[in-house]
Amino acid sequence: MVLRQERRAAERLLVSVIDDDESVRESLPDLLGEFGFAARTFSSAEEFLASDCIDQTRCLILDIAMPGMSGPDLQRKLKLREQEIPIIFITASTDKAVRPQLIERGAVECLFKPFSDTAMLEALNSVFHPTQ
Amino acid sequence: MEVLPELATGDVKHLQRCINDLVSLLALPAVWSGGDPSQVLHTLMDALMRMLRLDLISVRLTNSVGETPLEIVRSAERRGPMPSAHEICEALNQCLINDSRKWPPLLRSLMGNGDVSIVLLPLGLQGELGVIVAAAERADFPQQTEALLLSVAANQASIGLQEARLLSHQKRVASELDQRVVQRTAELAAANQELKKELDERRLIEEKLGQEERELKRSEVRKAAIVDSALDCIVTIDHEGRITEFNPAAEHTFGYRRDEVLGRHLADVIIPPSLREKHREGFAHYLATGEARVLGKRLEMTAVRANGSEFPVELAITRIPLEGPPSFTGYLRDITERKRARQELLRSEAFLAEAQHLSRIGSFSWRIQTDEITWSEQLYRIFQIDRDAQLTFELIGTRIHPEDLSIFQEHIGRSRRERSDVQIELRLQLPDGAVKYVHVAAHIRGGHEYIGAVQDVTERRSSEEALSKARSELAHVARVTSLGVLTASVAHEVNQPLSGIVTNASTCLRMLAADPPNVDGARETARRTIRDGNRASEVVTRLRALYAKKDPTIESMDLNEATREVIALSLSDLQRNRVTLRQELADDLPVVTADRVQLQQVILNLLRNASEAMSVVDDRPRDLLIRTEPDENDRVRLSVRDAGIGFEPQAAGKLFEAFYTTKNEGMGIGLSVSRSIIERHHGRLWASPNDGPGVTFSFSIPCKPEGLTSDDTHASRIPSVSDAA
Repeated sequence: MVLRQERRAAERLLVSVIDDDESVRESLPDLLGEFGFAARTFSSAEEFLASDCIDQTRCLILDIAMPGMSGPDLQRKLKLREQEIPIIFITASTDKAVRPQLIERGAVECLFKPFSDTAMLEALNSVFHPTQ
Repeated sequence: MEVLPELATGDVKHLQRCINDLVSLLALPAVWSGGDPSQVLHTLMDALMRMLRLDLISVRLTNSVGETPLEIVRSAERRGPMPSAHEICEALNQCLINDSRKWPPLLRSLMGNGDVSIVLLPLGLQGELGVIVAAAERADFPQQTEALLLSVAANQASIGLQEARLLSHQKRVASELDQRVVQRTAELAAANQELKKELDERRLIEEKLGQEERELKRSEVRKAAIVDSALDCIVTIDHEGRITEFNPAAEHTFGYRRDEVLGRHLADVIIPPSLREKHREGFAHYLATGEARVLGKRLEMTAVRANGSEFPVELAITRIPLEGPPSFTGYLRDITERKRARQELLRSEAFLAEAQHLSRIGSFSWRIQTDEITWSEQLYRIFQIDRDAQLTFELIGTRIHPEDLSIFQEHIGRSRRERSDVQIELRLQLPDGAVKYVHVAAHIRGGHEYIGAVQDVTERRSSEEALSKARSELAHVARVTSLGVLTASVAHEVNQPLSGIVTNASTCLRMLAADPPNVDGARETARRTIRDGNRASEVVTRLRALYAKKDPTIESMDLNEATREVIALSLSDLQRNRVTLRQELADDLPVVTADRVQLQQVILNLLRNASEAMSVVDDRPRDLLIRTEPDENDRVRLSVRDAGIGFEPQAAGKLFEAFYTTKNEGMGIGLSVSRSIIERHHGRLWASPNDGPGVTFSFSIPCKPEGLTSDDTHASRIPSVSDAA
């Protein structure tokens, strides 16, 4: 933890958060910061696609249900563009059935809101430290 | 000349003049030719006055046959005062009164001073024509030559007058003849006219006679035609009962030809064997006594045809009013059809009575003038009034529920006055204490009579109540169902802020646990935690407002605000279905008096339907438009337009039926309940297909519905969720 905190901002890995819910966009970056990541937030998939962060993003925290392009839509799109980024889905839905489907399609994790900080950290660790 | 030497020159001149005068007098008849007596006399008198220098001359003609007496007097102008013509005539009358034959040839007049000489000259041989009186105021009058001239003149005048008279006579005779001819001709013409008139009259009489004859003939023909073409059988019989006439209708009905039955006994022909004896007895009785039970009446009896088949007939027998032995005409009519019709009528009446009984409808009539009330059987039964009772409004009033009695009486009074159609619902309270609901409908007929029906709707009322209850239960189920579906979106809605809370709180703890603790960061995350907590609380509050156990309340509300709340609740559900929602909420929307929660349920339902209708759509954007706008007639309209699968046109009428659904899931109750909610707000809910894909559901409600009170909706209120527990 200490080591990560001492890491310079420029060296930090970029995690992009895409969610139409503001409270998520506000709260997650601080937590990610505590975990030693740099964070960028986007309110829609379209906004993310239009940004210059796609290449730098090492992990996507992606909401499933959004107006316009949904999380899974973006996942398909990135796959088609061969810009696959590890994705942690988050959703306020209570339908547990979506999780295995999404993981089967290549998602790292699917977290149901409200999720704990440790659950998020575990998901991130599985992206950045797959051997752990 | 030598012959008369002694004559003086004066004498010669005198003689010469005398001869000239004679010649003139002799020429007079030529002048008179063709003239009448007065012309003759005037010419003569002029000549004598001039020739003899007379002072007076008068001619009087006697009254001859066919001619008026004539007297002309002329006097010389040179003389001074002279007696008037009238006086002269009078004086002359004195002289001439005697027989003219006794007249002296010469007379001295008595008139005047005696110096006047008067000469009377008879006209005609005996003076029968008249007399000339000539007078001159000379003593020597008349001289010899003058006397000669006078007598010649008198002769000439006599001849002229005779001729004139003759001529005049001839003329008169001719004229008379003419007149007689004219008269005779006229008489002949008149006679001719008379004759003609007589001829005309005779012709007229002849014509009339002919016409009467023709009329008579025609009347006979007509009578025959009537008998022949009558639909009734006409059979005449003589005093022995033998058939003397048998018309075509009879031929047709009984199956005999006329010539087969003429002369046969009626009884043998048309009366069934079993009745023949009775007929004969009755006929004999009549002939013997003159009493008849059957004459002049309509009877029903059985008749028999040529083929032996029997059938009912109506029979009327009349006696033919002719001299001699009695004969009769029988009018018979086959009443098989009528009897059948009567039976059918009876059956139909029985059916009607049965139908009234089954449908619990009784009919009545009321004559306003006389208050004569007629009821059908069923009505007595409904009112539990004895069939024999005398119907009066007072009696009927005893069956009316006390609370409805004034309404009943008011309606009777109004009907009596206004005579317009009546529709009322009344409660009856029957002797056994039971309460019945009846529906009364009556129409005025002919302005003086009401014809109407009373239906016992007690059962319908209770089934309506049951239906209303069932609908409420359905509404309840629908709400539970929609709640079930909503649970997911409610969770979603709550999970969002919860997610923020958990994340913020975790971050906060991590920041405080750091060394050194990041207090500022922790404060910020704690602040966000509180805010998200409040956000979650708001969601819960909204849900509570929508589902709290709360009696429906009518309040002034902002439909836009209510709509926004529903959208907030549905948003995640819509998002999950990848529906893009567009809102067009009118800025100038008037305030609505309505039950807020009920309207929100309708809006929620419409949104959910729209969302579901688009769940299978993948080839186009799942666009959903919700719009509010002021509607005409002080109403507001809300519409929800989807781009979904739509519905078949033939399904449009069924959409709002409970349990009808185009969807594979869900119970399809929502729209039916929604519609009843909107109708309770005196509004309308309908669906119409879009130009493009999908359907638009709209409702329109009055801003201030009349008579909508809390009680109204309370009576038919939709039970809240907690009622179900």
